Amino acid sequence: MKWLWFAVKNVRRNRRRSATTVLIAVVGTASLLVGGGFVEYIYALLRRIAATDSGHVILAHRDHFAMAEDVPMQHGLDDAPSAKARLEADPRVSAALPRLQFSGLISNGDKSAVFIGTGIDAAGEFRVRGSFLWKVTAGSALAARLPEDDLPEIMLGNDLARQLRAAPGSTLTLLATTTEGNLNAQDVRVKGIYTVGVPDLDRRAVLVHIATAQKLLLTDRVSTISVYLRRIEDSDAMRAAMGGLFPGRALQTWRDQAFYYRAVRALYNRIFGLLGAIIVVLVLFAVSNTIGMAVVERTREIGTFRALGAFPAQIMRNFVMEGLVVGVSGAAIGTVAAGLISFALGRSGVMMPPPPGYSVGYPLLISRSLELYLGAALVIVGASALAAWAVSHRAAARPIVEALAHV
Amino acid sequence: MASHATSGAARERGEAGSAAAAVAAPILLLEGVAKSYRTGQVTVPALRGVSLDVGLGEFVALTGPSGSGKSTLLHICGLIDAPDAGRYELLGRDTGRLSPRELAVVRREKLGFIFQGFNLVPVLTALENVEVPLLLAGAPRAERAARARAAIEAVGLRGLERRRPDELSGGQRQRVAIARALVGQPKLVLADEPTANLDGATAAQVIDLMRELGRTRDVTFIVATHDGRMAAHCDRVVALKDGTLA
Ligand SMILES: Nc1ncnc2c1ncn2[C@@H]1O[C@H](COP(=O)(O)OP(=O)(O)OP(=O)(O)O)[C@@H](O)[C@H]1O
Ligand SMILES: [Mg+2]
Repeated sequence: MKWLWFAVKNVRRNRRRSATTVLIAVVGTASLLVGGGFVEYIYALLRRIAATDSGHVILAHRDHFAMAEDVPMQHGLDDAPSAKARLEADPRVSAALPRLQFSGLISNGDKSAVFIGTGIDAAGEFRVRGSFLWKVTAGSALAARLPEDDLPEIMLGNDLARQLRAAPGSTLTLLATTTEGNLNAQDVRVKGIYTVGVPDLDRRAVLVHIATAQKLLLTDRVSTISVYLRRIEDSDAMRAAMGGLFPGRALQTWRDQAFYYRAVRALYNRIFGLLGAIIVVLVLFAVSNTIGMAVVERTREIGTFRALGAFPAQIMRNFVMEGLVVGVSGAAIGTVAAGLISFALGRSGVMMPPPPGYSVGYPLLISRSLELYLGAALVIVGASALAAWAVSHRAAARPIVEALAHV
Repeated sequence: MASHATSGAARERGEAGSAAAAVAAPILLLEGVAKSYRTGQVTVPALRGVSLDVGLGEFVALTGPSGSGKSTLLHICGLIDAPDAGRYELLGRDTGRLSPRELAVVRREKLGFIFQGFNLVPVLTALENVEVPLLLAGAPRAERAARARAAIEAVGLRGLERRRPDELSGGQRQRVAIARALVGQPKLVLADEPTANLDGATAAQVIDLMRELGRTRDVTFIVATHDGRMAAHCDRVVALKDGTLA
């Protein structure tokens, strides 16, 4: 305790020099935290987008992911209702949603376009997605159930609707190849127009009730069952559990399908990792410089202490403590500063521009996780202690007479 | 006192230690201690075979012209430098056999230092400066405070405990340094030109203080000086010339 007080007094001995170093540690800590918090937020956002898109674990026919089909739905699942029931019995699962992927032509009578459609359990999808990804730009979302007294409902991607001059209420025709290889047609009514945020998808996307798709393709199979969990952290455990539950089926987790997330993460890890390393090196240099100067200035004091019976380790400990005083002050102030900056940025309503391939931006938020804050503070404090050790250990063991003769 | 001086004199004449057995055991025994410094190609002999014994409680002046080896001899006696040759026994232990860590422990427990430039820590108060050796030795807080306070009083600085060195006069600073040297209850105190930075009157007071504390506490002092008046205050004068006892 007394030595700590001594270290504090010594740090205050050259106020301006110490203040500059503390400031560097403050800026370093705050940069690590704000930068790291930004990246964490982006990762979390992209994870959520990816998982919302695909489901946390995806159950499919053994060959679904790996092999092309000869006819539509050749690699489909045929026991969807029972699988759904078994999956939804697991308390970790919030929903198990069958999906049917199909494609064909969509026509307004005068003009047709290629579409990529998904047949969905509308009630379930809207529950797990919330308003999160499908931004309805005109009309409304599919009804929970297929209407009985009207044409089947359909939702169209923004650009596809523009191409077909379709608006909510318009009648269109879907054309697709059935599981038997024949062509089948189905009249549908546009219920809503939406955007998924990716222009390429908005040009082709079609959403229908799964029953509509099954009727069009003449099948009762589905392509996949997307399992949505209450916690994304359970994904791997759930995948393992499902391996036992559905032997001979193919399984993927959201991560397997999250190409964009993985690419962004790899890039950001590299960029921000490098920046972080530079910041740590800067702090290392600043603290070494400050403590190094103190060591030189106080060489005679070191000699005196050693003459009075101090072990080199005690001398070193004192300087390391001074490094810690600087590092801890910097990390503490930097942590508070980062907390305030993150809070203010979150409040400011600043929007980030849409990432490449997306048409919708997202709000700029900075995560403030305990791990990040503890980790960054520890790194800064550790760097300070290490720097102080590095510049003092030699002087601490230097011959006493030499140290005493130092002027 | 006289017998100690005699024993010292006997040693200087080269007579073997039989006379020493008759008196209190010598606290310090040097035999043929030599030390030289190498600067580049040149080797400068600082001590060439010094033999000396000093008894418990003696107050010894180490005199000699500049460059005669006074500081070098003090450093060796204070275990902060090692001789190249010869033997140094302190309190009956051959110091040549001690590890660096053991040497540090001996310095902390048995020795005290007083420097020409005081060497006080500028950020610490007088009291805290005096506490440093106790702190290094890991003494508990209450004991530290009590002993440091007593030492401050013993050197006549009561009331100035909270002053920092730059708020004290040269004489007061050296008194703080004396208190620091004595607070650990050492057996031997080494002072290198302790009065060189002080004016005549203050120097005399500081010398008298050291003498008195040495006497009352049974501490041996070896004081290097080239001040003739100072030497007159001492029990015994050991004169060095060109690295040998004159
Ligand atoms: N670090 C050193 N490197 C080289 N030579 C040294 C060193 N220290 C002392 N010497 C030399 O050793 C000899 C003795 O020096 P020492 O400092 O012991 O003398 P001193 O009697 O204390 O002198 P002064 O009265 O000037 O303090 C001198 O010739 C000196 O030049
Ligand atoms: Mg000298």
